[in-house]
Amino acid sequence: MSSRIPHLLEPYLSLPPEASLVLLTSVLGASTNWLVLRFLHSALINNDASSDLPPDEQTKVVLVSFMRDFAFWKENAKRLGLDLEKHAAKKRFSFVDGLSGLFLPSQQKTSVKTGEQVLTNPGLSAVSSMIQNSINNLKAAAGSGEKILLIIDQPDLLLAAVGEIGPTNLGDMLLGLREEAHALVVTLSADQPLTLTQQTCLETDHAAFLLSTAHQADFTMNLRLLDSGTARDVSGVVRVSIGEQELENDNLQKRIEERELLYFVGGDGGVKVFERGQ
Amino acid sequence: MSFRKRGIVVPQAGPGPGSPNPLGRPNPIPGSTAAAAIPKHPPGTRPSPLDGRLTTSTGTRSLDALLAGHAGLALGTSLLIEESGTTDFAGSLLKYYVAEGVVQKHTIHVLGMPEGWGRELPGLGSGDDGSKGKKVKVGEEKMNIAWRYERLGEFGATIGGGARERNFPQSTPTSSSEPAIFCHDFDLSKRLILPSPSNIHFIPLSAQPTLTFIDSSPSLSPFTKFIHHLTTNLQNSPPTTIHRLAIPNLFSPALYPSHTSNPTHILPFLHTLRALLRKYPTRLALLITLPLPLSPRSTGLTRWIELLSDGVLELSPFPSSAIVAKPAAASTVSEEPPQGMVNIHRLPVVHEKGGGGGGGSGMGDDLSFSLSRRRGMVIRPYSLPPVKGDGEAKEEEGRGLEVGGRRVRKGDIEF
Repeated sequence: MSSRIPHLLEPYLSLPPEASLVLLTSVLGASTNWLVLRFLHSALINNDASSDLPPDEQTKVVLVSFMRDFAFWKENAKRLGLDLEKHAAKKRFSFVDGLSGLFLPSQQKTSVKTGEQVLTNPGLSAVSSMIQNSINNLKAAAGSGEKILLIIDQPDLLLAAVGEIGPTNLGDMLLGLREEAHALVVTLSADQPLTLTQQTCLETDHAAFLLSTAHQADFTMNLRLLDSGTARDVSGVVRVSIGEQELENDNLQKRIEERELLYFVGGDGGVKVFERGQ
Repeated sequence: MSFRKRGIVVPQAGPGPGSPNPLGRPNPIPGSTAAAAIPKHPPGTRPSPLDGRLTTSTGTRSLDALLAGHAGLALGTSLLIEESGTTDFAGSLLKYYVAEGVVQKHTIHVLGMPEGWGRELPGLGSGDDGSKGKKVKVGEEKMNIAWRYERLGEFGATIGGGARERNFPQSTPTSSSEPAIFCHDFDLSKRLILPSPSNIHFIPLSAQPTLTFIDSSPSLSPFTKFIHHLTTNLQNSPPTTIHRLAIPNLFSPALYPSHTSNPTHILPFLHTLRALLRKYPTRLALLITLPLPLSPRSTGLTRWIELLSDGVLELSPFPSSAIVAKPAAASTVSEEPPQGMVNIHRLPVVHEKGGGGGGGSGMGDDLSFSLSRRRGMVIRPYSLPPVKGDGEAKEEEGRGLEVGGRRVRKGDIEF
């Protein structure tokens, strides 16, 4: 179905090979949320179709979100026909909420649902251990050998809002988490003010972190607005580029190629992806 | 006692007075189901025509119309209004927003401003006494639209008109009472009389020096008091109260100590506000104004503030000399000359899904705003007024030159 997984993006959205890192970047007005939802969909649903796989071959997903709450992801995943709560109950999905309680002081304990954890401490070690916890919970659920896709939505917020976290420490945390998971998908902001004018600490840290992540990534998908201004039927441009070390790697190159596509997200959340001029 | 059978049929204005029910007594069910069918919304809110989420008015009709078809500011979202230059148009937008809240009996929380600010809110306009007067006004507006502004009429019809139509079915069931007004008209020359137990809370920054000249400790966040006030207030108020948060002039040096612009203070604060907005998606709305000269959009901090807001609008007023020159050229009686341009960078809900690109929101159009005493802030597509002597130039062009029996126009020769 075209509205669910755009045909042209299918090779990029399928489960990345082991130990790979996928970077999604966004700018103001062109958010990566729809892309993350499609990653979730392809990891959780497409495996259902071929359910002849043994259960330990199924993909599990841990989603960490620093800018959006579970209600947002739930609602929009539902539009794709993906019931996150059902998957959470089946121990195939787990959500780490980095929005609701991260900086809220003295919050009383709310009833924590299964598969949902709320970060209450912005310290790196606390964040890291909670994500590890979720991964371990999923791993413990059904034998070993299953693949866990870790998606971290905008960890750059930690870098910007918490003073003492440097770009190297945050990078180390990601590296540590990559050891635990099968593959890692990270979304970061790549707005021009955050990357080009490196005058304040905020800007230099962000640029350093973004660049180092981009260099490690197996491939990146950059979303940006249309260069020629807004259009009625185009939301933005998605540019896929393959990481340096992977260019020699035939395995990945066979699967994906570098390209630039246009996309349009409708009011109902459906996405169309097309080439220029199509 | 209430179950005693009475022989009298109570006259009911409800559905089906012509069909007497077999039991011979008034059946209470039709009335109650009708009441249940009309969902009770808190005053000053209505469901969005797009997805049914509750929206509230920003107090400015044309701004409501801009917000991506929701015909209002969706509750649980925030709006950041940036303004370049030394004017304070964003401030008046904020005052309309607060005044609308006062009229709708919402609870309002204002950060940083002294209480005197609340006495400067615009009062209700005289044209607000009923929907009849408004309809006449709309008719008048339509009469004045020149051929050149036909597109503007369309703009109003698709957005403003649609919103009006949607408003009517809601108000018909309660036709006996006055239809609820979603967005009031305000008059800048009047002052709003606040209700005596005021529903506006003015919360100072916690690190604000209290008439002492000792600098507050820069390591403490100046926003803790506001957050604390908000969380306790939200927890202790009934779930039907709507809370409006207003943050005027973020980073204004008159109000904010310099260390507030430290990212480790402001960004966690905005992140917490975002968390609260998401936690109370039917009770809370937020409007922030940010003067751009002190924190230009090219800085990373401003970009993070934008990323943490759901909607971002930028007002760029024309230099005052340009406005004075305009009315002489051509201003119809009803149209104020534009006083500046509006840029939409992000809209609530739509952009969060990843969308963008028009969709009836006016994205991508050149939008201008004008502020007047009676009509308040009006945002509409920008179009240049007809130039004086335009007709003569056209005639000349039409005549053209006759070369070889063919009409060649001036433009053709030049190319």
